[in-house]
Amino acid sequence: MAAVLGYSGRVTLNALYAGATVCVLMVETVNWMVVQPLRGKGLRLRSTVEHFVEFGVNSMPIVGMICFLIGVIMAMQSAYTLQKWGATIFIANLVGVSALRELAPLMTAILITGRNGSAITAEIGTMKVAEEIDALQVMGLNPTKFLVVPKFLAMVLAVPCATALAMFIMIFGGFVVGVYVLGIDATAYFNQTALALESKDLFTGMTKSVFFAIVICWVGVYRGFQVEGGAEGVGKQTTSSVVTSIFLIIIVDLVWTALFYFS
Amino acid sequence: MNGETENIIEVKDLVVKYGDRTVLNGINLTVKRGEVFVILGGSGCGKSTLLRNLVGLMRPYSGQIVIDGQDFTAMSDEERIELRRRIGMCFQGSALFNSMTVGDNVALPLREHTRLEESTIQIMTKIKLDLVGLGGFENYMPSELSGGMKKRAGLARAMAMDPEMIFYDEPSAGLDPIVGAGLDMLIRKMQSTFNLTSVVVTHEMESVKLIADRVCMLKDGEVVGLGGLETLKRLDHPFVQQFFERRPDEEGGDNAAYLNSLTGTD
Repeated sequence: MAAVLGYSGRVTLNALYAGATVCVLMVETVNWMVVQPLRGKGLRLRSTVEHFVEFGVNSMPIVGMICFLIGVIMAMQSAYTLQKWGATIFIANLVGVSALRELAPLMTAILITGRNGSAITAEIGTMKVAEEIDALQVMGLNPTKFLVVPKFLAMVLAVPCATALAMFIMIFGGFVVGVYVLGIDATAYFNQTALALESKDLFTGMTKSVFFAIVICWVGVYRGFQVEGGAEGVGKQTTSSVVTSIFLIIIVDLVWTALFYFS
Repeated sequence: MNGETENIIEVKDLVVKYGDRTVLNGINLTVKRGEVFVILGGSGCGKSTLLRNLVGLMRPYSGQIVIDGQDFTAMSDEERIELRRRIGMCFQGSALFNSMTVGDNVALPLREHTRLEESTIQIMTKIKLDLVGLGGFENYMPSELSGGMKKRAGLARAMAMDPEMIFYDEPSAGLDPIVGAGLDMLIRKMQSTFNLTSVVVTHEMESVKLIADRVCMLKDGEVVGLGGLETLKRLDHPFVQQFFERRPDEEGGDNAAYLNSLTGTD
């Protein structure tokens, strides 16, 4: 009995401590991103741009390819049923709406988590093991300003851009199946897609992508700073980073979907 | 703050704990301005912990660290930044930023803390690298350097802001005797040229003989000897004598007890 109480007590305390650390991280990030630049303490723009290229531009091949294939798959799956009623034109509706509202933001976020979220954790974790973070502090340089803010800004700009492109590519995937496999008229497909989509779809998709970006960056950074104990520690936290990130992305997705479509 | 105090660093009753484990148990010492102060001790005696507290990477459980008349332990992180410009630290693994060239590493404090022009910063970088014998290596990445060269680059970076105090964490660790001696001479040269106060944590006796003005020996989180090297050698403390004579711990012991522990009967 005492062991159970002790265990649950420790778990609660650890969770509270972790929560506190995350809150401090969030406050520090906003501080060094918004407050300090206004005081003239600068922003590392070059680092931000370099990270943007890595997160947004270099991810596009894999994000584009996967989203195209998902568009294709969705079209094929829906065609299977819609063909029975000669209603294959509605593939355009289905692919368009799913892509914008749900699938493009989600797939982009998950792919970027796997690719860049893990890289962020590994980079910061390795720096921590090599005492580079300590070196920054001893030199009077704030690690949040140096390491977190550039990544945060880059992620918040890159993920929505990638998502927007992914939405388009996913619809294009459906288009290819609809027009070249099922023989739907190209103009008709295009018009049907345009008819089916409303601005709310785009707006909700893009809003979600911004919040996904915030999750990816902060989870990646937090796990990076948690690393201890050498290579094994780096590996452990990197895995944990991707898993936690994906989990939180789905939760955020749930929250926004409920807010936009269910209240 | 109050003119030139003779003791630039004062440690008063420092107690440091990791969770429930007390690592430093009431440390009292002073470092005089411009001297090379060596902290000696066996593995796990708390010397690296002491160093980390002196540079503010850890906060102690209790006690005070006064640097140049200011209470370092009581300062907030923001207030510490000012003082940190006057401190440099050389880490055991050199802790160079692997994503930047050696030149960028050395220039980093200058770029962040000063408003100097880029050309001036480049010149200062070259000067600091020349000082440590790495002239011409500005464009090398840290991974392309040997261990000794990395430590020198780390020292150049620590010297970039012309600090008044430098802290060295095991400078000769992992270096061959020749390179290690070279680094020791460099430490002495820095101290004599710039009147730099240097605090060195080490356990290499040969280094200590070359560089130390005063020595402090730690054992199990307590100071067991403090003073000049000669004074310490004459100190009648068993651990101090064992350390200087490089004598290993006695092996053997109670055979009956050992047998019991092996066979599990007891």
